[in-house]
Amino acid sequence: MRRALIVGVSGQDGAYLSQLLLQKGYWVAGTSRDARSNSWTNLRRLGVHGRVHTLSLDTGDPEGVARVLEETHPDEIYNLAGQSSVGLSFERPLETFASISLGMFHVLEAIRRLGLRARVFNACSSECFGDTGENAADEGSPFRPHSPYAVAKAAAYWAAANYRDAYGLWVCSAILFNHESPLRSERFVTSKIVGAACRIARGSGERLRLGTLTIVRDWGWAPEYVDAMWRLLQQELPRDYVVASGSSSTLEDFVREIFAALDLDWRAHVEVDPALGRPSEPRCVRGDARRIARDLGWSARCRLPELARRLVRAARESA
Amino acid sequence: MKKRKQKIALITGVTGQDGAYLAEFLVGKGYLVHGIKRRASLFNTDRVDHLYRDPHESGGHLVLHYGDMTDSLVITRIIQKVVPDEIYNLAAQSHVAVSFEEPEYTANADALGALRVLEAIRILGLAAKTRFYQAGTSELFGLVRETPQSEATPFYPRSPYAAAKLYAHWITVNYREAYGIFACNGILFNHESPLRGETFVTRKITRGLARIALGLQECLFLGNLDAKRDWGHARDYVRAQWLMLQQSAPRDYVIATGEQHSVREFVDCAARELGLELGWRGKGRGEHAVVASSSGVSGKLKRGKTVVRIDPGYFRPTEVETLLGDATRARRELGWKPVVTFGELVSEMVREDLRIAQRDALMRRHGYDSPDPHE
Repeated sequence: MRRALIVGVSGQDGAYLSQLLLQKGYWVAGTSRDARSNSWTNLRRLGVHGRVHTLSLDTGDPEGVARVLEETHPDEIYNLAGQSSVGLSFERPLETFASISLGMFHVLEAIRRLGLRARVFNACSSECFGDTGENAADEGSPFRPHSPYAVAKAAAYWAAANYRDAYGLWVCSAILFNHESPLRSERFVTSKIVGAACRIARGSGERLRLGTLTIVRDWGWAPEYVDAMWRLLQQELPRDYVVASGSSSTLEDFVREIFAALDLDWRAHVEVDPALGRPSEPRCVRGDARRIARDLGWSARCRLPELARRLVRAARESA
Repeated sequence: MKKRKQKIALITGVTGQDGAYLAEFLVGKGYLVHGIKRRASLFNTDRVDHLYRDPHESGGHLVLHYGDMTDSLVITRIIQKVVPDEIYNLAAQSHVAVSFEEPEYTANADALGALRVLEAIRILGLAAKTRFYQAGTSELFGLVRETPQSEATPFYPRSPYAAAKLYAHWITVNYREAYGIFACNGILFNHESPLRGETFVTRKITRGLARIALGLQECLFLGNLDAKRDWGHARDYVRAQWLMLQQSAPRDYVIATGEQHSVREFVDCAARELGLELGWRGKGRGEHAVVASSSGVSGKLKRGKTVVRIDPGYFRPTEVETLLGDATRARRELGWKPVVTFGELVSEMVREDLRIAQRDALMRRHGYDSPDPHE
């Protein structure tokens, strides 16, 4: 039985990845900062709670990381842990760095020190590219991070690349573009929009206030993205890939499709409040995922407006 | 006539090579200079002692504070107390090879250290007052994507040191864009001087050859002789650091000479300063240099003696083979160009190390132990 360790299992991606790996017959262990008091909402929603062997781990603690690796003997390690909100990273830059960059160093160092043969997946982010303009970013595009979150992810990416080059560790990164699901927390703008739109449809009468509508992003469906993560670790040699839907939209498009899925006209319910914007934000983030399609046969199937319909359907079912 | 208010600068890493040259430069410009140094059981201020003991006539002088880049509270408190017009963040675990041994400490001091200073500026409400210089490095270019490297060249860091400095670079850009802090990255190519730490390859060469010339040392062990670098003099480079903070708008600048030499060429050049001609023999790990001819201070060295060998222990897990900078932007916008040539740099370093070696030889002749510290 193949053994997988998901570092940071309680988030959106951790939950979907657990589900996928269990379906594939893996023994799955997952960590969270406090496994005993965690309510495991996401794992419960997917019906995999109880089937994932959960452990407490703060990746800021190098000894803890090494201990978990020794206890679980994984064939594959997926590092998904970290402070994952771009907006919050402006408020908590140090915590963001410690959880993302130092956390990755600790995983890599533990593998090196213990001489493990495990394969490692590092979850990198499209935020590293910053503003891509009209040219979609691919694996050769330079980074230009625009937030403490993105800067921390860039450092972790290079740490992974360096340990691969320097010590021959089997580690690769996926540069993941935005991927959404009903498990996203409301701290993320997409979930905020879905939540507000559903309440408005039920007659709440509230108004949805957003910092901007003009930013361009590439949104995909999270369950497909965890499949890409798994595929990356099944390669013969570790190589980094951009994982994106390949189609980009403005936030206004996203808002329109969410409201349309509820038979509402967004213009009657949304207002722009620049005060909600971030101190700095890339205007346009486009992704080119042709390499992973060619090499690993992965491509996103669910895009807008189908993505909007799924998000709304799930939100209504759980309401 | 109204006297202009004295400018206040804060230098983190003031006890290092660049800190010392910069402190001297700023004191000369009439600044009141505050420096942060790590507490240690032993004295660690020898590079700036002359400034400390002899306050400058013009009123500028140096004040030292204990502090550590890994301690947010201390950094914030010092900035709050000093309220500097300019902060130069030079503190770092600055040795590439050591960063493979101590990756986490390197990340903490070099990456988070920069963030801590920027956060302090923001939290203390100094974003509109205090200008910030971040000491970047050509190591960011690592496995170079193009030659020469300019501000537009993408980064490819090849060591934990470079990855940490990459974070510091981008977080500086981010705080400039997000909060309007006057923050600049200087992407400085290698810069050396007689004050360079003894474990850095240039200083190791000049010190080692000077000691060999006087019979204090048998052989010099080096790593990758083929590594090519763009070497300038630290004194020229600290002037560029200051110039960046005197502009009307903050920008990042590559600082380099635009001239490249291999480690082997550095060895040859340093040897010639000592009257020594070397002959290179063998290949790869077996490569070594023997004395082809000797005169002057090294006149006692026998022909054919092996004075340089390879120690693979000095190879890095991932090497940076070649770095060459294009400082066109700094030349155009800052009016900066290096004054000291490669030959003058090597000559100054050799002269200084020869003086120290002669002192050691003198002490030994008179029956005293002379210090011979090792890495």
